Amino acid sequence: MNTATVELGWLHLLAATGLVLAAGLLSLLLRLGVGRRLALVSLRTVVQLGLLGLVLERVFALDRAVLVVGLLGVMTIFAAREAVARTRHRYPGVYWDAWMAISTAALLVGSVVTQVVVGAEPWFAPRYVIPLVGMILGNSLTGISLCLDRFLEHLDTRRDEIELRLAFGATRREAMTQPLTEAVRTGLVPLMNAMAAAGIVSLPGMMTGQILAGSPPLQAVAYQVVVMFMLAASTSIGAMIVAILAALRRTRPDGSLED
Amino acid sequence: MDAWFVCGPLEGRIGDSRVLFRNTVVELAEASLTVLEGPSGAGKTTLLRAIAGLDPAPGARRHLAGRTWAPSGALAEWRSQVTWLAQDAPLLGGTVRDNLAFPFRLRAGRSRRFDPQRAGEMMDAVGLGGLDFERGVARLSGGERHRLALVRGLLWDPPVLLADEPLSGIDPERSAACWELVAQWARRPGHAALVVMHDEGFGTDADGRLRLDGGALRALHGGSGA
Repeated sequence: MNTATVELGWLHLLAATGLVLAAGLLSLLLRLGVGRRLALVSLRTVVQLGLLGLVLERVFALDRAVLVVGLLGVMTIFAAREAVARTRHRYPGVYWDAWMAISTAALLVGSVVTQVVVGAEPWFAPRYVIPLVGMILGNSLTGISLCLDRFLEHLDTRRDEIELRLAFGATRREAMTQPLTEAVRTGLVPLMNAMAAAGIVSLPGMMTGQILAGSPPLQAVAYQVVVMFMLAASTSIGAMIVAILAALRRTRPDGSLED
Repeated sequence: MDAWFVCGPLEGRIGDSRVLFRNTVVELAEASLTVLEGPSGAGKTTLLRAIAGLDPAPGARRHLAGRTWAPSGALAEWRSQVTWLAQDAPLLGGTVRDNLAFPFRLRAGRSRRFDPQRAGEMMDAVGLGGLDFERGVARLSGGERHRLALVRGLLWDPPVLLADEPLSGIDPERSAACWELVAQWARRPGHAALVVMHDEGFGTDADGRLRLDGGALRALHGGSGA
């Protein structure tokens, strides 16, 4: 690590606040009417991230496995809630299904990345485990909610096609193949786009952060590749699990659709 | 002795409150064409869906050609033999061929093969002879969609067809030929059809007539319902 990392203090944050204020002023001058909203979300960002920072400082300082696992557990619950909040269709048990999908994906992929790839020492080292699992949750959440929304939408608007297949003797699996495939594909679109554009159109946020913090670029690239693959794996796993759980709940064993 | 086809007792409801019919048993004779009639809203579509097992029918006995299905057992296989043709002629996205051939790609159709020549003959018979099999179905007219859906059902050739207003949307010059095709198809050994009709003026020559009205299914002549 290079020691040139710039330690950020209040003055630096004030300077950044000046930029947001300038944007707000511009909005006032042009009568865009977003000044109030901009002020509110800026404040929200500061408060949310500030709280997170305080919690992380405590967790890092105490360095206890129970605290890390507990925090991760709370994060999965919020992630599942947020994933369902973004869909327009609901069904009884949807929160449970979203939670199962997101925590299974995070557990599987998170274990491999923190224990095998990064080799965190001790295994729960909060400095690695929390940000990595946080990134997994944030990204799988998007994939899971898109996938779930698309799947339930399909069941709702294309019920006649599903029943057409059933009417000619399709099994539950045969009747669900198309809705499941389309839903999982939809859930993976943002991630595929991000992977295709990485390094050409955009410098990924994590890599930018690492370079700013003083890492050599190639090291930052290696981390970014690990992160991208980790997100690809967790989003695909999460999307497939949530779609299958939803399919099991919205259809009967013979394939007919629940009302 | 059991009839060739028996399904019931069936119950149909709208939501949790309104009962359309209950304790209804449908029987069909082999090689027969039976018409199901009744005022709209009486539950004809619901009855066909219940027979096909698309809505739950707890306790219903399903019996076909000497074989009895356990309640709610192997419904996918039952549906492949007692096939429901929905009223609005739903089609899959894709081509005419995709729509005619998809049942043969299901597990239920694995022992059979899609026969393009036979499909062509049936398309001729309903006046769709000029329709290219590779054409997309998105821009077919309502009448063409209904005739295509009818051909698909007949080509699948299950023992029993449950057809919900198969002639709706088909213009009068064509519907006589379509009706004739259904009648000939049904009056063969090992086959039968139950057809919901919406007074197109056909159906008087059917072998049986069932009427669903006020929650009761009655046989008008031939066929039987209890």
